[in-house]
Amino acid sequence: MKRLLFPLLAALSAIVLLALAASAFGHSPRALFGILVSGSVGSRFALEGTLLKSVPLLLTGLCVAIAFRAGVWNIGAEGQFIVGALAALLASPYGVVASLLAAMLAGAAWASLATAMRLWRNAPEVLTTILLNFTAVHLLGWCVNGPLRERAAQYPQTDEAAAALPVLGGLHAGVFVAIAASVIGWWLLYRTAEGLRLRATGFNPFAAEWAGVNVRAQLARAMAISGAAAGLAGGIELLGVTHRLFERFASGYGYAGIAVALLAQLHPLAIIVSAFFFGALATGAGDLQRTANISAAVATFGQAVVILLLLAFDHLRARHVRSDR
Amino acid sequence: MFDLIVDAIPLAIVASTPLLLAVQGELVLQRSGIINLGIEGMMLVAAMTSVLAAQASGSVILGFFGGILGAMFIAALFGLFALFFQADQIVTGTAINLFAVGLTSFVYRELQPSGIFLRALPRLTTDAMLPLAWIVFPIALALLLWNTTFGLRLRACGENPEAVASHVTSHRAIALALEAILAGLAGAYLALAISSGFAENMTAGRGFIALSIVIFGRWKFKGALIGTTIFGLAAALQYALQAASQGVPFHLMLALPYVVTLLILCGVAGRVRAPESLGRR
Amino acid sequence: MLRLAHIVKTFGATRAVDDVSLDVREGEILAVVGENGAGKTTLMRIGAGELAPDSGSIDQTGRVELVHQHFLLVNELTIAENLALTTSRFRFATRRTLEREAAATIAATGIELPDVARRVGDLSVGEKAKLELIKAISRNPSTLILDEPTAVLTPYESEELFRVMRALAGQGKAIVFITHKLPEVFAVATRIALLRSGQMVFETLTADATPESLAAAMLQSPLPVRGETARTKGRITAILGVAGNGQSSLARSLLATHPEAAHIPEDRTRDGVIADMTIAENLALKSRRWSPREAAHRAKQLIAQYSIRAHSPHQRAGDLSGGNQQKVILARELDRKPNRIVAAEPTRGLDLESTRFVHEQLRAAAGNGAEITLITSDLDEAFALADTIHVIYRGKLSEPMTRDEATGRVANLMAGVE
Repeated sequence: MKRLLFPLLAALSAIVLLALAASAFGHSPRALFGILVSGSVGSRFALEGTLLKSVPLLLTGLCVAIAFRAGVWNIGAEGQFIVGALAALLASPYGVVASLLAAMLAGAAWASLATAMRLWRNAPEVLTTILLNFTAVHLLGWCVNGPLRERAAQYPQTDEAAAALPVLGGLHAGVFVAIAASVIGWWLLYRTAEGLRLRATGFNPFAAEWAGVNVRAQLARAMAISGAAAGLAGGIELLGVTHRLFERFASGYGYAGIAVALLAQLHPLAIIVSAFFFGALATGAGDLQRTANISAAVATFGQAVVILLLLAFDHLRARHVRSDR
Repeated sequence: MFDLIVDAIPLAIVASTPLLLAVQGELVLQRSGIINLGIEGMMLVAAMTSVLAAQASGSVILGFFGGILGAMFIAALFGLFALFFQADQIVTGTAINLFAVGLTSFVYRELQPSGIFLRALPRLTTDAMLPLAWIVFPIALALLLWNTTFGLRLRACGENPEAVASHVTSHRAIALALEAILAGLAGAYLALAISSGFAENMTAGRGFIALSIVIFGRWKFKGALIGTTIFGLAAALQYALQAASQGVPFHLMLALPYVVTLLILCGVAGRVRAPESLGRR
Repeated sequence: MLRLAHIVKTFGATRAVDDVSLDVREGEILAVVGENGAGKTTLMRIGAGELAPDSGSIDQTGRVELVHQHFLLVNELTIAENLALTTSRFRFATRRTLEREAAATIAATGIELPDVARRVGDLSVGEKAKLELIKAISRNPSTLILDEPTAVLTPYESEELFRVMRALAGQGKAIVFITHKLPEVFAVATRIALLRSGQMVFETLTADATPESLAAAMLQSPLPVRGETARTKGRITAILGVAGNGQSSLARSLLATHPEAAHIPEDRTRDGVIADMTIAENLALKSRRWSPREAAHRAKQLIAQYSIRAHSPHQRAGDLSGGNQQKVILARELDRKPNRIVAAEPTRGLDLESTRFVHEQLRAAAGNGAEITLITSDLDEAFALADTIHVIYRGKLSEPMTRDEATGRVANLMAGVE
């Protein structure tokens, strides 16, 4: 029960804090709250929007959860998302499946660059993955302004991808792919020997090494799997939602994945719920910007507040346990 | 081409000054055993508050103080979690960055109707920051860290906090405050002297580049100066190539700083030894 | 100098210190004796003001200094810099100044520790122990408490320590030292306080006690006599030495050449159990397959077989006591019927019952034909278990000895004198 209580409390308090922050600038907290709700789950249209936003968040959240479970700081979901989408675009003439596979491969490869730098040069992945994010952003910028620019050459964007995800009842099939991915993620972590060793490595690499786990290989695999999830997110976003690439394609999905994963306590199935919450927050925030002229960046602010509240609760719990002794 | 690079060097020195300030702040903090990924957000908030303070007061000097105050606010938040709650530093730093991006974007939009971000800033008449950042601060901070008992204890906090248990929190808090001053100056210099204004996400990863240079410089001020200089030269090369508009596309050029930083990290990281308990809780 | 009255301290369900009163007097050397887990360290941490007692009172005249069993030193700094860490004044000081001051401080204590510009990380374990002692003395305490000070010292270094202790007592300071080694007690202490399961059993002047009477009082139930059944197969080889003489790299290379070997790591909280995983998960780490149900079933059997005190296979391993964590490791490693076992300090910090259990398991494994390498710093353990004894000193192994051959020589070999 306690495992559910704190995340729930964090999510709710974050919304309250958002409303308070907005009221400091003269907005009515009640109106803001109303728009957040109606704009995210208040209508069929809003709910669809929320689900569409939840899909990439679910997968980047999964990306972060798998990496953090293995004890690697993959802060690079943003970059892996971008290169995944780029690969999906290039492979789209070969069909949806090939395109999504290419996205996963590209995401895995981009993440593995950080692994390689870690294992061979001991460069901390927490920095290399972030730097690779910036590199990917500018790589994308170059692509949409240069080699991959649309034939009409009117805007800095690519042509539409040659393939698209099938649409089922207003939602693209990526929704189901994402949910399947989180189930597979759960199965991998908790029902396979690979997952057992991955988690062991994350909790205590020294003991894992002595217990016969090849820690370096384990880290490399975890990072690749993690990158594949983010790459898949990029591929699905391209083939299901935007159909084109443009400079601000990623718009923070990767960083938001950290909040998604932490709110879900790094549990792949809980990520489905957590992604929906942040998807709703982002969709609602979009509505806030359109109707009340409050920056949609409050969604980012909300992600930060959720993480900080979770950390604060952790502290309280730890202190509680300590005082028990 | 060579002439173009030489011509670009003064510009590159100015452009890498915020970076150098941030590097020095992070260096002091990491020596005490704390890694602050949130320095990026700290600079971003400082950039905004410096512009607000400069506009409100009409004084550049007060603008710099405004930057320091903004950075102090973020440092207090980071310190609350990383020092007093003993939360994970990487997670805290990441959250702080999201917090700063969200906060500044929100405030930017809220204050846009007032026109405060559009009005011309008061001019910076004498640039005292260059000698401060490149000469005065490195010498003063190196003296503080290596020639005082305070510096000795601070470094011990980074190696084995148990050995100086009663001093750990206070010394780390002081290091964090020093970092806030330097990151505040960095953000303010970026907004007031280089970009003449605030723009969303204007720090563009400088905080992370600073962290990388701290590693490259092996947690020493000499190394920090060398690392920033190499980075500045790469920037000069970038400007020169742009001026010559030869071949390399503009957008790829924008990726250059990050690629250079990655190379810098890979070039030396393999042989360095971080403070023993850096980042540990 | 230090008067403890009716001290009580509980941790969770266990009463670590149970109504203990103790009076430490000027100029004496008091040995606080007892088995692991008897409450010696807890009591002394309360005396030094590091822990607050649940009830009871503490009176002291002057400063009380406690020298911990594990070092509180900064390896990256020099001897001089480590000594300078003891004061909290702000001032400018160059390396040279600190070194001059450090040399003077050390000279004043009468302990020999030359060349204060050396990095502490490069010092031998014995030298580090001396530095800790110097740090404590330099704060000019009236009562000095030493927690197992000889655990990492060679016999000769111990002698030097005893000389310093006597000199300090001669200056009117009160010295308390915690130990479970009886010969030391009789070598240096003037008075003895014996603790057992958190309670004071008795206090006596050393002159009024004999090693035999003390040993009998220390152990409620004595360890089985060390002789053992004749084994036809299997062998236990002990590598005996003071910690930090290359044992860990030896273990590492042994395991590299025999990757199939079972391993009981020296640092069980770091290298042994994974605290945040369940007992079942810890036990399954080395098996090829993982299915939660099978693993729980298997864990239940092993919990019974190795008498691990746990209420469920899904209990967090980190919540077990040290002895039970060690049993989890034993279960994981020995259950595979290995031909070769590398056991490093398998009973360090364990209570009597767990120690006995670990010893029985190792003997049984040897009886089943396993080749066991026992890396230990505990003389008694080596002599109780091993067929062959090597001494390790500064990374070099002595030639193999039988127990009888070893009896007269280990002290010299451990000190590197021979």
